[in-house]
Amino acid sequence: MDNIIEINDVSVTYQKDSSVIHAISHLTLNIKRGSFVAILGRNGSGKSTLAKLLNASLLPDSGEIFVDGINTTNEERAFDIRSKVGMVFQNPDNQMVATIIEDDLAFGPENLGIPREEIRKRVDWALKTVGMYEHRMRATQKLSGGQKQRVAIAAVLAMSPEVLILDEATAMLDPRGRSEVMDTARKLNKEKNITVVLITHYMDEAVDVDEIVVLDSGCIATKGSPLEVFEQIDIIKNTGLEFPTATETSLKLRGLGYDIPVVLTDESLVEALCQLK
Amino acid sequence: MRDIAFGQYYPADSVIHKLDSRIKLILVVVYVVGVFLVNSFISYIPVALFLLSTILLSKVSLIKVMKSIKGILFIIMFTSLLNIFFNKVDNVLWSWGFLVITDGGLKIAAKLALRLLLLVAGTSMLTFTTTPMGITDGLESIMKPLKLIKVPVHDIAITMSITLRFIPILIEEIDKIIMAQKARGASFDTGGLVKRIKAYLPVLIPLFVSAFRRADELALAMDARCYNATQNRTKLKELKCKKRDLIALFITTIYLILVITIPMFFPIILDFFSK
Repeated sequence: MDNIIEINDVSVTYQKDSSVIHAISHLTLNIKRGSFVAILGRNGSGKSTLAKLLNASLLPDSGEIFVDGINTTNEERAFDIRSKVGMVFQNPDNQMVATIIEDDLAFGPENLGIPREEIRKRVDWALKTVGMYEHRMRATQKLSGGQKQRVAIAAVLAMSPEVLILDEATAMLDPRGRSEVMDTARKLNKEKNITVVLITHYMDEAVDVDEIVVLDSGCIATKGSPLEVFEQIDIIKNTGLEFPTATETSLKLRGLGYDIPVVLTDESLVEALCQLK
Repeated sequence: MRDIAFGQYYPADSVIHKLDSRIKLILVVVYVVGVFLVNSFISYIPVALFLLSTILLSKVSLIKVMKSIKGILFIIMFTSLLNIFFNKVDNVLWSWGFLVITDGGLKIAAKLALRLLLLVAGTSMLTFTTTPMGITDGLESIMKPLKLIKVPVHDIAITMSITLRFIPILIEEIDKIIMAQKARGASFDTGGLVKRIKAYLPVLIPLFVSAFRRADELALAMDARCYNATQNRTKLKELKCKKRDLIALFITTIYLILVITIPMFFPIILDFFSK
């Protein structure tokens, strides 16, 4: 299979006081082109460090990372990597440069020196894709959290990336804003074939992804399809993560002796409960 | 959130909004020069007329303009009061101990207050009618010759536009911190002046810490969006001088001439009508 991101035996360490902390240690991971991957882990598990490694904001102390075949240590091509890997961060206010939405979207393509007519096309396209085209002349300050994050996603889209990284992009949003952002990410993955890397600690967001990678103290604790991962109850509990509500319920029922499969969504829980005798 | 009008963009569809931002920057400079050249009350007439017609043309609501003045009302009153009491010119109108009011002092104070009012209202018309990005692009274009002597023109311009963008965010933050400190029993409106100023220290420190954190995150986000990737940066919006810009420039020139010459011609005009 074609991998858009290849991480080979990467380690990152930093000094804190007198001890050496391994933010990432000997991590090897491939991300397939066009897939939707969730990276889960509690605070300090190394997931944000991993995000910074993927767009060459941070270079590994050892090991290598390839983005679409380009080594991230290749300084001359750092901007190529950054235009391929778009990042959306946690706080929407701290990633917007301009006051007016369409000006903010133009920032990325302008930096790349793309011709004016092409920027116009890209900005309009990106705004329509995230459903914010009618708001293009409004001030970013007046939007809701979910709308701001959708604008931030559009700003990344205007650079026509191959990979979209959502680094805890839903952490500061209310449930409605969260589902707005998740729906947008899913749509981009399905319709525009953009690889999405979702970094989060909300298990509920990870139930319908292609692959889950669970990080714990800089190492991969487990990975696989959502069902495969959530069945490893002990590992999940050890990494300090919480199960999706439906999964939690089904696990408890199994613990009480009911014959019920491990489920991920509310719908499949209802189905499983209805089949109980 | 507190409503701070100064430095904020007011979206509307008007001629003034559509003017080239470089021209607007030049116009504001000319306007300010005009305000400072005024030395008699009569010259305030062209200044006030110019400002008033700009406000009307720009479709910015008068209430918004008033609000931008509200912010500096205290400074205006303070400086006028000082000027009333410290300028002892011509006839004494009223005196009490060391406090003396003269008609000359009143005139100077009134001129100063008018000057400040016109200055703030006029300059805020620029930010009302021009997006921060527009101001940035305009400044960058005007400062372009400085690039030859290695002045980082684009960086200066973008710093300015980010400053404008973060004003409302930081004000919101101040309100939040004040509320948080109040919830923990801090008091901001009791005690003497020194005590009150001291009470703001626990507001300023978290504000600075958070501003640094924001700056750090913004820098990361700007890097992620390829800031400084190429020297040949392009622009979504092209600045173009059109006919209306030339007309605006022409009108402003007339304004400046009027401001300078009106005190000379005024006696002649007065003479003409009294005959």
